[in-house]
Amino acid sequence: MKFTINWLKEYVDTGDLSPESLAEHLTMLGLEVDSVTPVFPELAKLKTAKVLSVESHPNADKLHLCEVAVGKETFTIVCGAPNVRKDLITAIAPVGTVMPDGTKIKASKVRGVKSFGMLCSERELGLSDSHTGIMELPAETEHGQPLLKALEIDDLLVEVDLTPNRPDCASVIGIAREVAGITRNPLTLPVESATFEHSGRDFSVDIEDSEVCPRYAARLIRNIKIEQSPWWIRKKLLSIGMRPINNVVDITNLVMMEFGQPLHAFDYDKIAGNQIIVRHPKNNETTFTTLDGEERTIEPDMLMICDAEKPIAVAGVMGGSNSEVKDNTTNILLESACFGAISVRRTARRLKLPSEASYRFERGVDPGGCVTAMERAVSLLCKVAGGEAMEGGIDLYQGVRPLNSQKLRISRTSALLGMKLDYDKITDVLQSIGIRCKSKDDDTIWVNPPTFRIDIEREADLVEEVARLIGYDNIPTSLPTVSLSYPEQDPNRTLRKQTSNLLVDIGFSEAINYSFVAEKHMSMMALDKNDHRRNYVVLLNPLSEEQSVMRTMLLPGLLENLKRNINYQKYAVKLFEIGKVFTPQGENEQPIEKERLTCILSGRRAGEASSLYNSDNAVDIFDAKGVSELLLETLRLYGCGTDDAITFRIPEVNEIENFSDPAQCLILDSDKGILGQLGRLTPEVAKQFGIKQDIFFIDLDFELLCNLNATAKNFQQLPVFPAVNRDIALLVPTSVKAGDMLDTIRTSKEKFIEHCEVFDIYQGKPLDDGMKSVAVSVTYRSPTKTLTEKNVNKSHTKIINTLTSKFNGSLREG
Amino acid sequence: MEQELINLQTQAREQLATVENVSQLEDFRIEFLGRKGQCSTIMKGLGKVPKEDKPRLGQMANSVKKEIEALYDEKRQFLFSSAAGSSSQDDAIDLTLPGRKPETGKLHPVTQIMNEVCSIFESLGFSVAEGPDVEHDHYNFEALNIPAHHPARDMHDTFYISDSILLRTHTSPMQARIMETRQPPLRVIAPGKVYRCDSDITHTPMFHQVEGFLVDRDVSFADLKGVLTVFTRKMFDKELDLRFRPSFFPFTEPSAEVDIACVICEGKGCRVCKHTGWLEILGSGMIDPEVFKKVGYNPEVYSGFAFGLGIERIAMLKYGIDDIRLYYENDLRFLSQF
Repeated sequence: MKFTINWLKEYVDTGDLSPESLAEHLTMLGLEVDSVTPVFPELAKLKTAKVLSVESHPNADKLHLCEVAVGKETFTIVCGAPNVRKDLITAIAPVGTVMPDGTKIKASKVRGVKSFGMLCSERELGLSDSHTGIMELPAETEHGQPLLKALEIDDLLVEVDLTPNRPDCASVIGIAREVAGITRNPLTLPVESATFEHSGRDFSVDIEDSEVCPRYAARLIRNIKIEQSPWWIRKKLLSIGMRPINNVVDITNLVMMEFGQPLHAFDYDKIAGNQIIVRHPKNNETTFTTLDGEERTIEPDMLMICDAEKPIAVAGVMGGSNSEVKDNTTNILLESACFGAISVRRTARRLKLPSEASYRFERGVDPGGCVTAMERAVSLLCKVAGGEAMEGGIDLYQGVRPLNSQKLRISRTSALLGMKLDYDKITDVLQSIGIRCKSKDDDTIWVNPPTFRIDIEREADLVEEVARLIGYDNIPTSLPTVSLSYPEQDPNRTLRKQTSNLLVDIGFSEAINYSFVAEKHMSMMALDKNDHRRNYVVLLNPLSEEQSVMRTMLLPGLLENLKRNINYQKYAVKLFEIGKVFTPQGENEQPIEKERLTCILSGRRAGEASSLYNSDNAVDIFDAKGVSELLLETLRLYGCGTDDAITFRIPEVNEIENFSDPAQCLILDSDKGILGQLGRLTPEVAKQFGIKQDIFFIDLDFELLCNLNATAKNFQQLPVFPAVNRDIALLVPTSVKAGDMLDTIRTSKEKFIEHCEVFDIYQGKPLDDGMKSVAVSVTYRSPTKTLTEKNVNKSHTKIINTLTSKFNGSLREG
Repeated sequence: MEQELINLQTQAREQLATVENVSQLEDFRIEFLGRKGQCSTIMKGLGKVPKEDKPRLGQMANSVKKEIEALYDEKRQFLFSSAAGSSSQDDAIDLTLPGRKPETGKLHPVTQIMNEVCSIFESLGFSVAEGPDVEHDHYNFEALNIPAHHPARDMHDTFYISDSILLRTHTSPMQARIMETRQPPLRVIAPGKVYRCDSDITHTPMFHQVEGFLVDRDVSFADLKGVLTVFTRKMFDKELDLRFRPSFFPFTEPSAEVDIACVICEGKGCRVCKHTGWLEILGSGMIDPEVFKKVGYNPEVYSGFAFGLGIERIAMLKYGIDDIRLYYENDLRFLSQF
């Protein structure tokens, strides 16, 4: 909602409130002022000028050489306007002015003669479409003064961001009412109230569905002369950014801005049968051309204003071109009606045609105000457009609302606001904005809000009025008294935090990607046609193809992130995301939402760390495995003994993801199903995302992870006796897995084995082809004694024998 | 014996005078003060002296040893303190080299702010609940007193999955979901992702919100002001000016928007606060009786307040981020800053 300070002052004395404090007050009343800015800031530099002399340009027939006076200064200006003449008072854009269209006025030579500024037409100033010549101001206008002052538009534009509950404030008078409440000054309205006689002489009105049209009033005005509106009307519309059209249209707009009541003028002579019928379209009425010239598809439930033959307007949204007021119109039928909010809203939405009228109707127009606004418009049409109002008119008012009376309890108001209030205080503030109050009993007030306050329906609404009028700042601040209770922690949330913090500590940064993705991701990931992740939740109204389906995996998003980072020369990337993936259910059912944890690793292992101390080696599959191991160990799901929830295993052929390198991929198994996978992305899939470097991923079902049973922390006695370490270097065929060797040692029946690990793998000369050396270190310890060489040797020899025979190996010498 | 002690003392003195570096000093220590050094040997010899001489010689031996120790310490200190200024400077460790710094990552700024917001409310006894991103129209709108075709739906550009299923446009559906299943007193916050079909410099189609509500007997608007004042002060770490301004939400009545004095210009007026000196940071209000009725609470018995805030906005204000799109590009140059 836009208005100007001067316009507001026509209805209420703002007292000594500065525009800034007025704005502040309105904001604190819930009418949030977005901005207070000078009207026409782009015209601030223009001045009035008087033409002193006009001579022909020596080098151009159509140009004139003018001497103009601007206050005490005189300038030579080249001007091509046909109406430039001696003593004309006009507008000058001095050198340095930036015109509304962005051109900058410079001192320049025009056909060899220097010109110091420009004399302007109304169109050049954005004031009208008139470009027949330069602006003509009244002869008595003083020259040298700011143009805005001469035009009486040195005003301030206030823009209010209205909340949907206050349609009454979508009008200057509505705002004035609130201001009257602040200043306690009386309102001065152009029309207080009005009535007219019922007359069916010139036309008839029928409403077929009064549910969506509670009131329809219309009057006939004859002998209108369509022309440009007088300046006082145009300047009001221009200053709030509305384009003046002609006197009739401008008056309907002006009154709508004044009273908040949308009005529409039909060309009476184009109304077939002099009949107005408010009805839904008939079956054959499927298109309608609105007055903006667009042909629109209309639907059976839309409300139309029709004449005897055809629709002539979309009710409450826009008129039709078939009944539009044109330059040759002489008789108009003025409509002032009230249409159902939902009906108008649906129609405006479906036609994608929001208008000033629909904006007001869909928020709610007071049916009680139709005739008052109509009479204001009628009087202006007669005064300004030479019209002659026909005696009487038609006012169908089937939707009269019962008197809105509410009970307001003083105790309830006090309790809800947390402050002691009494009858006097409450009634004082309510009455300041015209809400009538009457005492019912000690605690109850009978309250009658005015009809335009359609938002006040319940006691709660009145409590809000009281709060807002008292001022939120004047309500005290307290803390609630509550009984102590322990806020239960969501275990998933706790685990998410723990996981994130761990990953961050070991060099991963957290990514957050959109939940909606491009469908093509699934093909880029080389998923099979029938892969369950190709079954998405689809958005009906996506913003773009790139964001059209809900994601079923996190990896593609992270790959896009990696690509972006590489583009910006960040080649070492470790990212993780914990987020939801979505699997559709039935048509009107919520999809299944499951959280996943996905990590990617790519580029230099040491990241950005200094090359002084770190090699430039890139991450490999063992980084991905190590991160998984560390994470699962921290969560006590792995590496905590024999009852680990998780095991790593090499996948079966049919378990390998299409995007995963079959040679470098592991499955994380749990006692409750597969937790996820880790692996190396195939170069082909990486290429789909425009990435050339190696990428490793970990992709886990986070919900399952949360449901696994962590091994309890259980204290073990610290060893008292020393350990003995023995190394074995075994030559085995390259196909032998080190893990199998370790498992063999661990599960052997030998006593005293505390720990074993691989510490070296060697392949190549001087070893034979197909053979490798695996060096294993075994730690022996007894809880009850210091082990002797003899104790250890016995076990160790057995282990060596077992390994050599089981893995077809031999002890490596030297 | 006595002579031996005097000789030892002289010898030590002379030898120490020739010591020039740390390694020579160490040799000296081993020769004189070590476990098998001269002092030790002499001390052991004390066992063999006549009984009557023992106290005197013992005392003397002790004082000789002490003196050698003192001389040694003195020399040691001298050598170390002069090391920096000595000719061995070139060999000293170059401490201007960077440290061997372990590489760590960063939590996304949205997560950081989210954690901060949640922990403030958790400290006030609120529990945390999370709900579905894909919601029923009922919970997103109807249960919150936003019937179909209510103009308030304009404030929510909604992504639809089907007629009745949509991406939640706010975290407020959790109000209805929780109240439906639990009885007051309630103190709950609900963080999560929300979606609106809107995208420009200041809007992304997905963002994060935290919804919170408190329901009990005798909860007042003054309580709402109190709790949100505590929150804002903690969140922005200072005594910022704060104002509560009437606003409108269909599920609260009265409704209030909370503004803080602009953290960029400190209330003087700048581009970020659109020259008002104020920044809107959260929406709030007393829960509308209609919402209570829909979940079967008696509004004559219970009252409560609810609030909601946008995490990205808080992060923008707190960290001075000026382009909201940066949040979802996951550019390490961005993420590493927080």
